[in-house]
Amino acid sequence: METRDVVIVGAGLLGCFAARALAAYALDVTVLEAREDVCTGVSRANTGVIYAGYDTQPGTLKTRLCVAGSRGMAALCRELDVPFSRCGSLMIACGEKAEAVLRRKYAAGLENGVEGLRLLTAGAVRAMEPNLTDRVTAGLYAPGAGTLDPWALGIAAFENAQANGVEFRFGQAVGAIRRNPGGFLLETDTETYQTRAVLNCAGLAADRVRELVEAPLVRIFPSAADYLVLDDLSRGFVRHVIFHEPEEKGKGLTLVPTVSGNLLVGPTERDMAVAPGATAAAGLAELRALCAQIVPDLDLDLVIRSFGAVRPNPYYVREEGGVWQPEARGIPSFTVLEEGGLVSLIGIKTPGLTCAKPLGDYAAQRLLAHLGGAARRPDFDPRRRGIPNLSAMAETERAALVLSQPDYGRIVCRCRGVSEGEVREAIRRGACTVDGVKRRTGAGMGRCQGGVCMERVLALLAEARGVPASAVCKDGAGSEVLHGTL
Amino acid sequence: MERYDLLIVGAGAAGMAAALGAVRGGAARVLLVDRGDRLGGVLPQCIHHGFGLSYFHEDLRGPDYAARFAALLADAPEVALRLDTTVLELSADRTALLSSRAGLERVAFRRCLLCCGAREKPIGALDVAGTRPAGVFTAGQAQKLVNLGGYDLGRRIVILGSGDIGMIMARRFTLRGCEVVMMVEQAAAPGGLARNLHACIEAYRIPLRLRATVTQVHGAARITGVTVRDLDTGAEELVPCDALVTAAGLIPERELARALLHGGTPPDWLGFSGNCEHIHEIVDSVTVQALALGERMAKM
Ligand SMILES: Cc1cc2nc3c(=O)[nH]c(=O)nc-3n(C[C@H](O)[C@H](O)[C@H](O)COP(=O)(O)OP(=O)(O)OC[C@H]3O[C@@H](n4cnc5c(N)ncnc54)[C@H](O)[C@@H]3O)c2cc1C
Ligand SMILES: Cc1cc2nc3c(=O)[nH]c(=O)nc-3n(C[C@H](O)[C@H](O)[C@H](O)COP(=O)(O)OP(=O)(O)OC[C@H]3O[C@@H](n4cnc5c(N)ncnc54)[C@H](O)[C@@H]3O)c2cc1C
Repeated sequence: METRDVVIVGAGLLGCFAARALAAYALDVTVLEAREDVCTGVSRANTGVIYAGYDTQPGTLKTRLCVAGSRGMAALCRELDVPFSRCGSLMIACGEKAEAVLRRKYAAGLENGVEGLRLLTAGAVRAMEPNLTDRVTAGLYAPGAGTLDPWALGIAAFENAQANGVEFRFGQAVGAIRRNPGGFLLETDTETYQTRAVLNCAGLAADRVRELVEAPLVRIFPSAADYLVLDDLSRGFVRHVIFHEPEEKGKGLTLVPTVSGNLLVGPTERDMAVAPGATAAAGLAELRALCAQIVPDLDLDLVIRSFGAVRPNPYYVREEGGVWQPEARGIPSFTVLEEGGLVSLIGIKTPGLTCAKPLGDYAAQRLLAHLGGAARRPDFDPRRRGIPNLSAMAETERAALVLSQPDYGRIVCRCRGVSEGEVREAIRRGACTVDGVKRRTGAGMGRCQGGVCMERVLALLAEARGVPASAVCKDGAGSEVLHGTL
Repeated sequence: MERYDLLIVGAGAAGMAAALGAVRGGAARVLLVDRGDRLGGVLPQCIHHGFGLSYFHEDLRGPDYAARFAALLADAPEVALRLDTTVLELSADRTALLSSRAGLERVAFRRCLLCCGAREKPIGALDVAGTRPAGVFTAGQAQKLVNLGGYDLGRRIVILGSGDIGMIMARRFTLRGCEVVMMVEQAAAPGGLARNLHACIEAYRIPLRLRATVTQVHGAARITGVTVRDLDTGAEELVPCDALVTAAGLIPERELARALLHGGTPPDWLGFSGNCEHIHEIVDSVTVQALALGERMAKM
C-alpha cells in the first residue's frame, strides 16, 4: 500500500491551512474529509471577525498566534485573493463594570503587543458610530481588527493547497485509526490509508477522532449560538465591528459590517438545542432585544436570515465512576496535543479563524519535527486567484470578460448580481451542492435568499455533474432539494 | 450608444402592456428588457384559470393571458425586445447598463419605467427558529419549480400563509397527488381572494388553521416537520411534513431606483408599474394601469 507522509483528518479552516503549510515541503499529504466539500462545519457558521488580540491571556500560544494572525491577515488575503475589510473594532461599555473590563482588555492588549489600541470617551465613540445608543459610556478601539467571510478564506487555502499538490478526498469519514510500525492505518467506509503521521483537525469531532487511538484526555462539550443577518440595505449603519460588553452577567451584542455589506448580529451563548446548528426562538428574541437597547434605530425588518452555530468548548476530563467528567474550568489556550506522530487540534474556537494560518503553520512544524524534517519545494506558489468577482470590476474590464466568456454576461442571482460564469467556475473548483455554490459565489445570499436563482443553480449543478436535478443536494448527503420528478 | 424614448425594465404583464401603451402614445423607439427567457413574468407559471375576467371578459390561464400581449408586441415594430438580459443599474445621466451573453452594454433613454414585479419574503425574514434544511420553498418559487420544471417538492406539505399564491399552490399540490397537511395563517381570516378560498381550499378540504403560525423547522438534511403554534392558546404541535412552502408576502422590487431617489422621490423621468408599483391581486388591473402609464410617459 502507498504510504503517505501526513494524513489530515478534516477540511475546515484548520485542515486547509495546515495542508497549505505542508504543501510547501516535499511531502505526500492527503486530507480526508467526511463531508462533500470543505468548510461545512464550524468554519462556515461563526462571527467572521479578525480579532486584534487583546481578548486572550498574555503569554499563551493563543495570544501569540492571534496577534500574528491579525497582523498578517491583509497580506494573506492579498496572496489568496480573498476580500478582507480591516474596519477596526470598537468595544463599548454602558456602565462602570463594563468600563473596568475595557481597561483590563486595554492593558492586556498592550502586553500582547496589539498596535493602535485606544480607550475612548463616550463622545468619541458616538462620533465614530452615531447609531449606537447614547447610553454608551466608554469604548476601546482596535484599528487592526476586521472581518472577512470565513468560508472564503478556507476555500482559498484549500484551492491553493490542492494546486500545490495536496490531495483532498471527500466523503471519507475516518472511523478507525490503528498504530503500526509504519505509523498509522486509517480506515473510512470505503478505503484504508497508511501514513507516517496524522493531523487531527476534525473540529467538533476532534476529541472522538483522537480517542480512536488514545485514551480520553480532552473532550468537547458543545454549546450553541444564534445569529441574524440583515439585508445589505443596512450597509453603513455601523462602520466598525462592535462588541458590546454587557454591564450585567450574560452575553453582549456583536455587530459585524460584513465584506458583502450585510450586518451580522450575534452570537448568543446558550445550551445546545436538540439539533446541532438549529436556532432557538429564545436566542433570536434575545438578539432582537439587545439590538433594541444598543442600536435602537436598527430596522429589524431588514433581517433576511438567521442561523445557528456550535461552539466546540474543550475541557480536560477525568474518570469518575465510569463517566468522563469535565474539569470545572475550561482551557484558556488552544489545545494542541502531540502523541507520537498524532497531532490533535481540539476545541479550537474563537479566535481560530484569525489564527487559521499561524495555527496551520504551527501544526505543520510539529509534524515536520516528528517526521525529521523535509526539503522545501522550490515550486511552491502561495498565490491563488479567486473566481472573477463581477460586481467589483470596472465596467470596461467586465465588458471584456463577457466578450471573451459570454457566461459572465448572464446574471443568475438577482440580489448579488452573480453570473452563470461565476457559478460554472465555482462548480469547476469543487462546489457540488447549492450551498457550496453559495459559499463560493454569494448566489442565494442576498435578500431573496435564492428564491430566484436556486432553480438555475440546481440546473447548472445537475448539468455539470451529469445527474438529474432531483439528485442535487442543498448541503450534505440526504439534503436533496427536490423530492423527485413527477 | 443606442438611444430610446422609453426603457421598460421587466416584460411581465406590466412591462408588456406599458410597451403597447407607449406605442399608442406615439413612442417610436421602446426597449423592453427582461432577464427571463420568455415574455410574461410570473404569468407563464400561473397555469390556473382566473386571468382576464375583467379585461377580456374571458377566463384565461396565465400563459394564455401573456400570449395575447406577446402577439400584439410581435406586431409592434416600435418595440425592441431583449430577453435573457438583466438591467444592472440605472444612472442619473439616463443611461442603463445591460448584461447578457451578447455583452455588457450601456443604452440611453429619455424615460424609464420599472416593471420589475415583486420578490417573495424568504423564510429567514420570518421569525421562525430551528434548522435550515432542504425542502423549504417560497410559494412563487415552488410554483415555478412545479409548473415549469415539472419537479416534485414533497409528498406531505405544510403551507405557511394563506395568500392567493399559497392557496393556488395548495390546490396544485393536491391535484398532483401530494397531501397538503395544513395551511397555517396567523390572521383570523384567510389572506387571499374569496374565490380562491372556495375553489382551492374548501373544495379540496385542506385543513386551514387560522390564528396559528410556524415557530420552528425540524430536520437536519431535509425537513421532517414544523412546530405549529396556536396564537390564542399558545399550544404547540409538531406537524410532520417533507416540504414547507412559505407564502408570506410580496415586496415590490424597486432596487434599481434606489440610487436615484432624492429624499424618497424618484426623478421625473422614472416611473413604476405593476407589482413593482404596488402589489396587485388581479392581473387585469396591472394591465390597465400599465397601458395608461406607458401612453402617458410616451407623451411626456
Ligand atoms: C460561534 C463561533 C464563533 C466564532 N467566531 C470567530 C470569530 O469571529 N473570529 C475567529 O477568529 N474565530 C471564530 N471562531 C472560531 C473559528 O470558527 C474556528 O476556530 C474554526 O472555524 C475551526 O475550524 P476547524 O477546521 O477546527 O473546524 P471545522 O470547520 O468544524 O472543520 C472540521 C472538519 O472535520 C470534519 N470531520 C469531522 N470528523 C471527521 C472524521 N471522522 N473524518 C473526516 N473528517 C471529519 C468535519 O466534517 C469538518 O469539515 C468562532 C467559533 C464559533 C463556534
Ligand atoms: C402565483 C400568482 C398567482 C396569481 N393569480 C392570479 C389570478 O388568478 N388572476 C389574476 O388576475 N391575477 C393573478 N395574479 C396577479 C398577477 O398575475 C400579477 O400581479 C401580475 O402578473 C404581475 O405582473 P408584473 O408585470 O407587475 O410582474 P412580474 O410578472 O413579476 O414581471 C416582472 C418581470 O420583471 C423582470 N425583471 C425584474 N428585474 C429585472 C431587471 N433588473 N432586469 C431585467 N428584468 C427584470 C422579471 O424577470 C419579471 O419577468 C397572480 C400572481 C401570482 C404571483
